[in-house]
Amino acid sequence: MDITEELREIVGERLSVSSSELYCYSSDASQVKGLPDYVVRPESTEEVSRIVKLAFEHEIPVTARGAGTGLAGGAVPVKGGIVLDLSGMNRLLEIDLDNLQVVVEPGVIQDALNDALKPYGFFFPPNPGSSAMCTIGGMIAYNASGMRCVKYGTTRNYVRDLEVVLADGTVIHTGSKMLKSAAGYDLTQLMIGSEGTLGIVTKAGLKIAPLPKARKLVIAAFENAELAGKAVIKIFSNGVVPSACEILDRVSLQVLKRYDPNLVLPAEGDVILFEVDGTETSAREAAEQVMEVCSPLALTIKLAESEKEMADIWAARKLVGAAVSRLDPTKTRIYVGEDVGVPMKQIPKLLRRVQEIAEEFDLPAMKYGHIGDGNLHLALFIDVLNPDEWDRLNKAADKVHRTAIELGGTVSSEHGVGAARGKYMEAQWGPAFEVMRTIKKALDPKGILNPGKLGL
Amino acid sequence: MKNEKTKLENEAAGAKKQAEMKAKAETEYEKTAAKTETEKEKLEIKPFEVDRRSVYKCVQCGTCRSVCPVFETVGWESANTRGRMLIIKSLLEGREPSEDVLPSLATCTTCGICAAKCPAGANPPEVVEEARSELVRLGITTEGQEKLRSTITISGNSFGESRDRLHWLPDGERSKLPEKSDYVYFVGCFDSYRYPEFAKKTFEVLQHFGVTLLPDEHCCASPLLRTGFKPDAEKIMGHNLEQIRKVGAHTVITGCAGCYTTLKNNYPGNLRVISLPEFLAEHLGDLKFKRLDLTVTYHDPCHLGRHNGVYDAPREVIKAICELKEMKNIRENSRCCGGGGGVRIGYPDISLKLAKKRIEDVPEGVDYLVTSCPLCVRNLRDAAGDIEVIDIIELVAMALE
Repeated sequence: MDITEELREIVGERLSVSSSELYCYSSDASQVKGLPDYVVRPESTEEVSRIVKLAFEHEIPVTARGAGTGLAGGAVPVKGGIVLDLSGMNRLLEIDLDNLQVVVEPGVIQDALNDALKPYGFFFPPNPGSSAMCTIGGMIAYNASGMRCVKYGTTRNYVRDLEVVLADGTVIHTGSKMLKSAAGYDLTQLMIGSEGTLGIVTKAGLKIAPLPKARKLVIAAFENAELAGKAVIKIFSNGVVPSACEILDRVSLQVLKRYDPNLVLPAEGDVILFEVDGTETSAREAAEQVMEVCSPLALTIKLAESEKEMADIWAARKLVGAAVSRLDPTKTRIYVGEDVGVPMKQIPKLLRRVQEIAEEFDLPAMKYGHIGDGNLHLALFIDVLNPDEWDRLNKAADKVHRTAIELGGTVSSEHGVGAARGKYMEAQWGPAFEVMRTIKKALDPKGILNPGKLGL
Repeated sequence: MKNEKTKLENEAAGAKKQAEMKAKAETEYEKTAAKTETEKEKLEIKPFEVDRRSVYKCVQCGTCRSVCPVFETVGWESANTRGRMLIIKSLLEGREPSEDVLPSLATCTTCGICAAKCPAGANPPEVVEEARSELVRLGITTEGQEKLRSTITISGNSFGESRDRLHWLPDGERSKLPEKSDYVYFVGCFDSYRYPEFAKKTFEVLQHFGVTLLPDEHCCASPLLRTGFKPDAEKIMGHNLEQIRKVGAHTVITGCAGCYTTLKNNYPGNLRVISLPEFLAEHLGDLKFKRLDLTVTYHDPCHLGRHNGVYDAPREVIKAICELKEMKNIRENSRCCGGGGGVRIGYPDISLKLAKKRIEDVPEGVDYLVTSCPLCVRNLRDAAGDIEVIDIIELVAMALE
């Protein structure tokens, strides 16, 4: 029996080898490309296990995929083989409020999980900009986070247990509903952020948090990004931990205003959005404190008046990355060098260096991101029909990555390494990277799990 | 494994290749244009081409995955907007067009919810229609598409009916129709042949305002345009325009959302086109509605709402008659009934699933699900169970009794 027939035996009609279908799975939201030979949409752990076992026997690469919203090519099958589209495994298996936990399949969509938890007064805090379509499986594989992780932490802080299919098809559990364990290596943490190179997650037990009763949003505009950075450091030193702390440089501000002219945003400057949450009283007090600390540094300070004003600003902020074309229809935002991070103190320096790099390569740049945790999203935009602009773009991105490493930071804070940033792993990790290689070899001796990623 | 097959493409090289291909395509075209007529016919297989800028607006972020109703039902990436855009990109970049693009490109209902949500401002339904038209040119079509085309071009309507289009008009009325009028009622295929009672009721209202009918109306050409048959559509549009000119009308009124968007956005010249709910809302003062003790809900047809922003007029009319209780997803966020874009004819199972999903949005305790498009009525009725689906003109007729 050939591979196609064997796969069909496992998943039936949920297998495709149509050239058009394969093409649709040859990329994600990044610039990485690679055609698979087969796409399958399994619907159970058993199916995944059988597929991986088959791949193990025939030494066929297997690349897991959720919604394909990744920005580093993590879900792109750069060595061909089988793509496992897990987005159909989307059942919310258990809501265990007494243990503050849920059990989900990997294809559950982040927003869908939160919609289901809302009536109970709970939420799953990590919230990437793509929460409307990204899957929990993808979030675990790339240790996704988002705007609220400055207070709530990243996906890593919310996973209690994983069901994982290993390279030979064996199914294991890496944890339990226990809050703590002192028995052996923490395989849950090893799997998180491993980008499908060590195993395929087929179920996840997640911690959830009670929804805050109140949220307040302070919008402060500054003369320049360095002053904005200073304000952030002062806020933290004053003991306020914002539930979000986002910077929008002046270009991002204009893009947002173009996207929705009704947003209550300052007219100019580099803007910081400080969100604080808690009870009505504690949130109000924190907001007042933020305003007080900002006042000697800011051009303007404003407290969002209503829930709707807040919701509109956050909704627009989530889409800012892709909204650049609104400013200039001939320009498209290309996701490269878009996720570097540095220690908080280095943020003003990073902002300055990134601006210099954009100017050096004569590329319009938009800078926004989670300034509260040192994560800067750089958006470079080009005319995609101009090969010279592509060339300058790639050079600029390379320089941005190297700058982040120089400043003691990381090439990726939350989007992952995938195939786009593998070449920086050695530089960022030194001898520690060899340990990663050893782990990979031990768990995936035939190298079939998402080959070509993480620089491995 | 196929390691010899280099799968990692260099983007810069890719873009360069595109630019070269485009230049090549242009020279090819110029060369071809210079040939003699017969040679030209032989050589003129211009490669697949659509407006590149509108395709490259898509940054592949995947936001459309959260809204595309066909994707939700089918599950394959190719059935999502992003997949469609990718496939179109691949054809632009030289992948040979073949029938295997059809399950992707022919299943878009052109509902436009992806365009409404797209952060990059892409307009995928427009791109898909353009791509369909290119595929038609290259001879790649579904059976359903071909059937639709021959039906409409032969019979002048989308049902292959040979009956007189005005068969619903009471005897003796036809001779009384004003030959000239500023206003003409464009009936559409659906109301002419499937819901003649809608046509009758609509005309009864419009007649009071001096509105007339076209002596020889044909299909508005919407189904042809949505499925890529531009040249055929142009012929039929020419015929209708000629008819409108004969009557001397400056304004066309229609009760069908498909006819409305087509007359308004695809017909050449500057026809003034008003939808029936807009006309009714404008004339609320003249219409003596009696208040009905009913609670209804309203489904926004995609081609009336999202494509043309007509959200308030139908609601004003309904509220002038009875209580309105909104559906779960409304206005810009309204879900497609599943009928448009040739999907009802080509992929009835997908179409029905979409209709069923839409029916789930109906709130508790309503007497009717009202809409303002006969295609939506038809598709939703198939899925409605014990919920009664009516056109807005039926509600109006009840209030005028």
